[in-house]
Amino acid sequence: MITPLVVATMVLTGLLALFGLTITILNRPPDRVARIAVWAVVAVLALQAVIAAVQVFAGTALPETSTFLIYLVLSVCVLPIATQFATAEPTRWGGAVIAAGAIATLVAVQRIQSLWIPLG
Amino acid sequence: MAEPPRATASGPGRVLIAVYGIFALSATARAGVQIAGSFSEAPIPYLLSALAGVVYILATIGLAGHGPGYRKLAWGAVGFELLGVLAVGTLSIIDAADFPDDTVWSGYGRGYGFIPLVLPIVGLWWLRRTAHPR
Repeated sequence: MITPLVVATMVLTGLLALFGLTITILNRPPDRVARIAVWAVVAVLALQAVIAAVQVFAGTALPETSTFLIYLVLSVCVLPIATQFATAEPTRWGGAVIAAGAIATLVAVQRIQSLWIPLG
Repeated sequence: MAEPPRATASGPGRVLIAVYGIFALSATARAGVQIAGSFSEAPIPYLLSALAGVVYILATIGLAGHGPGYRKLAWGAVGFELLGVLAVGTLSIIDAADFPDDTVWSGYGRGYGFIPLVLPIVGLWWLRRTAHPR
């Protein structure tokens, strides 16, 4: 885990949640800009997941490896699924769906961070 | 002729389904890890986590589907969920010794920002609200 990347993913998912709520308040369905924003955030999350997975499989021992890896997978998967669901019915509520996915991802990243306790 | 009831999976209902879906995913994953890893440590809380996961999955399916069968499923799952969070929440406070490990519903969902307590109330309200045509 790289601390600046953890901070970056937390800030980005937080901003994405605010963005989603904003387009809901403005009564606009998620558009191309929203999709690009989601995929940009997912790219950073995927980068973080790959780095952390490589570290774990290269021998970094953690107290709860399987829980850590599950949260790692969730941190990458939730936003694409939520966004698919958000854009399937183009209403203002799509933004709130993206926001829910972003907040869940933020929580997952926070759990990943708290489970990253390399042993000796 | 009566209009069909409004779909639960439209408009703000989609936000509700998204939150249910997230809880279905995380509760099931969590229960899976607990049961696979250290089931003997705290079998009752881990089984409750698994039960909560199943209830969230059924509620998600019920709310996302169209038709009276899905609506009944949603009523059942969301109603059970409210009873579950109230029962487990109360038991976990009265009898903390039997609940050494947190479940989603412990302390009325304290570990999850009380969303497990709010969610079924919103879910029941939404089912009621969408039951009659506008």
